[in-house]
This record gives sequence, structure tokens and C-alpha cells, in this order.
Amino acid sequence: MSIEIKDIHFSYGKIKALEGVSIDLPQGAVGLLGPNGAGKSTLIRILLGFLSPDKGGGRVLGYDIKDEQTEIRRYVGYMPEDDCFIPGLDAVSFTSYLGELSGMPSQEAMKRAHEVLFYAGLEESRYRKLETYSSGMKQRLKLAQALVHDPKLIFLDEPTSGLDPQGRSEILELIMDISSKKDIQVLISSHILPDIELTCKYVVILNKGKLAAKGDISELKEIRDLYEMKIKGEAEGFLRKLKAMKCKVEETEDGILKVYWPPKKDRQEIFRIAAEEKIQLRHFVKSETSLEDLFAEVVGVD
Amino acid sequence: MTIKEKGYSHWDGEFLARRFPWWPITRYGIKLTFQRRFFRLIFPMSLLPAVFYLAGIYVSERLEDFPFLRGETIQFLQINPNYFKTYLTQSFMLFIMLMIVIFCGASLISDDLKHNSLQLYFSRPLKKKDYFLGKTAVIVFFLFIITLIPGLLFFIMKLVFSGSFKFFLSYPLLPLSIIGYSFIATGFFSFYTLFLSSLSKNRRLVAILIFGIYFTSDIIYLIFRSEFRSHYVSLVSLRANLQQVGAHIFGQKTPYNISWVFSFLVLLGICVFAGFILKSRVKGVEIVK
Repeated sequence: MSIEIKDIHFSYGKIKALEGVSIDLPQGAVGLLGPNGAGKSTLIRILLGFLSPDKGGGRVLGYDIKDEQTEIRRYVGYMPEDDCFIPGLDAVSFTSYLGELSGMPSQEAMKRAHEVLFYAGLEESRYRKLETYSSGMKQRLKLAQALVHDPKLIFLDEPTSGLDPQGRSEILELIMDISSKKDIQVLISSHILPDIELTCKYVVILNKGKLAAKGDISELKEIRDLYEMKIKGEAEGFLRKLKAMKCKVEETEDGILKVYWPPKKDRQEIFRIAAEEKIQLRHFVKSETSLEDLFAEVVGVD
Repeated sequence: MTIKEKGYSHWDGEFLARRFPWWPITRYGIKLTFQRRFFRLIFPMSLLPAVFYLAGIYVSERLEDFPFLRGETIQFLQINPNYFKTYLTQSFMLFIMLMIVIFCGASLISDDLKHNSLQLYFSRPLKKKDYFLGKTAVIVFFLFIITLIPGLLFFIMKLVFSGSFKFFLSYPLLPLSIIGYSFIATGFFSFYTLFLSSLSKNRRLVAILIFGIYFTSDIIYLIFRSEFRSHYVSLVSLRANLQQVGAHIFGQKTPYNISWVFSFLVLLGICVFAGFILKSRVKGVEIVK
């Protein structure tokens, strides 16, 4: 386990940002999901040692998050969400500078800066001043600086925010390459669910500072079966009975009902309720739940 | 733009256990300062007083070659601790130091705040102490070039030009005075500049504050002096406090008729206050409540 934390509590004054969060993350790419204010960034900041938890503790790469923050930062890369750079420097100097700050020897940091900028697709513009970089280039640069010291684990905070579709797909391609082929564990915090679904196998969902769900995405998605159906007749009673059985029901614009059915319940129940309420089921298909459905389910939003 | 054409390879080097992890911050700070065109113009000019005083030391040993010198000039060329004190504490020299810290120090923290780069520093194995030391060393580097180094150079050149150790034997503590005053003045200007640099994301505003507070303190002193006729009002002037402490360190009569300790405590108090504010202003993360 590269990240193990137990019962983490953290407050900003009276506002509780994290309450009793415990997670053990496996190798590979892990998605950290949650609505705004869920505590994702706070958790990353605690793991990096920017913030010290009020209660609880844990280890990152075997180092204690309270006492060995400097060692953690030596072996961890961090790609912040905000635009951040050092004015007056070009990309090579910037990346090499941050490599040196990580403890790399000066010449090796410079050599390595060229390599990671090539890898991030900034080879053509590596001698340009950072002030002239576009949003997409800055995202790539932030990824390059996070990789310069060859970390064992990288935290990516909203890596695709502000990118056009092509830039987004290129960054995601890089992230998948890093996590699947380069033996670097990746923790991605994002609220763009398709990005997480594409790049991660494992997901941690936070909501209001608490752990809402964690596990393998494919297993978590089985939390509910999704059935799509079209009906004819008075829907009110039918829908009421479905909801009474703790089903979540959504109606799409084209009149299709999406019913999230608890997996252990017999789906014959749906037909029984339909018969009771004199409803004709004219279309009935078992559909695949998406991460978006899972997220809506555990966070409790539509 | 194609990616991964070159591929990613792992780095097989060893991390350095740096004794001074802040050194890269200082090196890049100095490099970035020299990239400023106006600084490259003004910095050599700041060395002109040192050249002038060094010439004075040479002339003092060859007075017979300069028969046209007389009166006050001859008196000025008496090389003793007062000569060194005059160079290091004169108002013009303090003004030059102020200009240097404006150009090399105003942006040191304000640019990091403006461009959110503090989180880049603190996501590395650096402590707050290393960050401050790295930034302070940039200011120290430039101020030592115009204070400590010329001061010690004058002393050495006096020995070289005179060809004897008589000067050293007459003033054995003078090198310590030069070092002591240079450290105090540089330390004060470093805290003063970094403190103001941490207050704003706008480096121009910081430059105005550095300049404005220094001269406003002097103007307030002049107003108070004409009003109250007390030497104690000199404590409000940053310049006067530096000159008072400097005069004591070089064993000279202090310019104001109060104890130098008060001036020292004022400077120390400003440094402590600045350090306290700096600690709270510089954080790895911006907390939005």
C-alpha cells in the first residue's frame, strides 16, 4: 500500500473539512472524487504535509504524514490545480530548478528537465518564457515539473481543467501511460467523471468531508442494476412503489425511465408492481451503470 | 503535438543530501535579478562610492604626489574607523542599499504570491526556513557586495598600500566592526524587504512601500524634531537608527544624543515583527474559507 491513512480529521476553524477518513490505496491509478468542498484538495494537502491533521495519521510510501513530510515530498510529485509558475524563467530552467529543489544535482536536473519536457510534448517551446504559455501548455508544464525528479507517486489535482478536448485527451493519454507503463502510482483528484473512468481502476469518493465510497470502479458500479424502460399508463403509483423499494428513478427527455435497482433484489418485482398498477412495460433493457451514476448514487445528487 | 515520442525513462541518479537546500533558490534569485535590464544598469553604479573610497585610501598613502589637496580633503583622507563608518553609514550609501533591495528584493515573495508558486516550493523537500533563507540570501548577496566586501577590501588595501601592519595594530577590531555593521544593516534590510514583499502580489506596490516607508520615517522624524526638539524622535527614522547603531559599532560619537541601544532595539523590533508577519503570510497552501 503506498497510501494508508486512518481516521483523519481536519478543520478550517469551525468548518470540518475531513471527518474520520480512512483509506488504503492499492498500486495503479486511483481517482479521488467528490463535489466541490468535499475535502479532496484538503486530503491531498495533508498527504503532502502542507497541512497537519487534527486527529488521525497515516503513511505515504512508508513515511509518516506528520513527522516525515520532507521525505514524502522527495518521492512524491504534485501537479497543483491552479496556474502556477515562476516568472522570468523558460520551461527548461523552471523544470530543472524544481528538480534541484527536490535534491537532484544541478546538471542531472537540467538533463532530466529536457527529457520530461519532451515527454510532456513541450519540446518545441521549452526555451520560451512561461508568461507566454497557453493554458494547455501550462498544464503540460505542471505535469513535467511533477515528474522531473522521477517520483514514485504523483498527485494530480484537476489535471484536465481548462483544457480543450484535444489537450484533455493528450493529458489523459499521458496519465494513462505513466500509471500503466511507468510504475508510478497516480492519484487523480477531479470532478470530471469520464476522465477518472478512463484513467483509473480504483476510486475514492468523498462527500462533505467523509468517505462516501471506495473500491474498484467496476465492482462499485454494481452497487445498483440499471434498467431502462418505457411504460404506458398512469405512472404515478408505479413510480411511488418503486421509490418505496429504495429504487432511484430518473426520467430522460425522450420518456425513458432509468431505474436503479438494488442488485440483490429480484427484478421480477418490477413486473409485479407494473401489473398491480396496470402499467404496460413496452421496453425493458438492462443497462450499464456509469461512474456518473455511481457518483450520483453515493453523493446523493442528480 | 505528438506526445511520448521520446518516452519516459526512470532517473537512476541519487538525490543529494544538501547541507543548504535553499541554495538553488538563491542561485535562481540572483540569476533572475541580473536578467532585469534596469538592475544591470544601476548595480555597477552602486559600486562607484566604493571605487571613490578605495581611491581615497590609495591617495592617503601618496599625499606627497597630490600637493593640491588640502584642508578638509586631507582631513577626510585620515584613514581610521571614522572613514569606514562614513562609507558604510552615510545617507547616500543607505539610499543605494535601498535602491538595491527594491530591485533585487521587491519581487522575491510578491511574485511567488502572484503566480501561486509557493505550492511548487513547498511540494518539494523544503521547509519554510529554507524558503526564507534562500530568498534572504539573494538580498544578502547584493548588499554584501556593496558593504561587507568593499569594507574588508578597504582594510586590506590600506595594509597593502601602507606596506605595514601598523594600521591593523592600531585598529585590530575594525574588521569585526565592518562585519558586524554589514550584518546588522543587511539583516535589517532583508527582513524589511521580505516583509513588505509578502504583503502584496504587486511588485511595483512593494517597491513603492519599501521606498515610501523608509523616507516617510525620515520625514516624520524631521517634523517631530522641529516640533519637540528631542533626540529621542530620531527613533522613528530608519535611517537615523541605522546611523546611530553604525556609529557605535565603529566606536565613533553617535549622531544623536541618546543611547544606541534604543536604536538597536527599534531595528530588532522591526525585524521580529517582520519575521512574525512573514511566517503567517507565507504558506504552502492558500486556504479559502
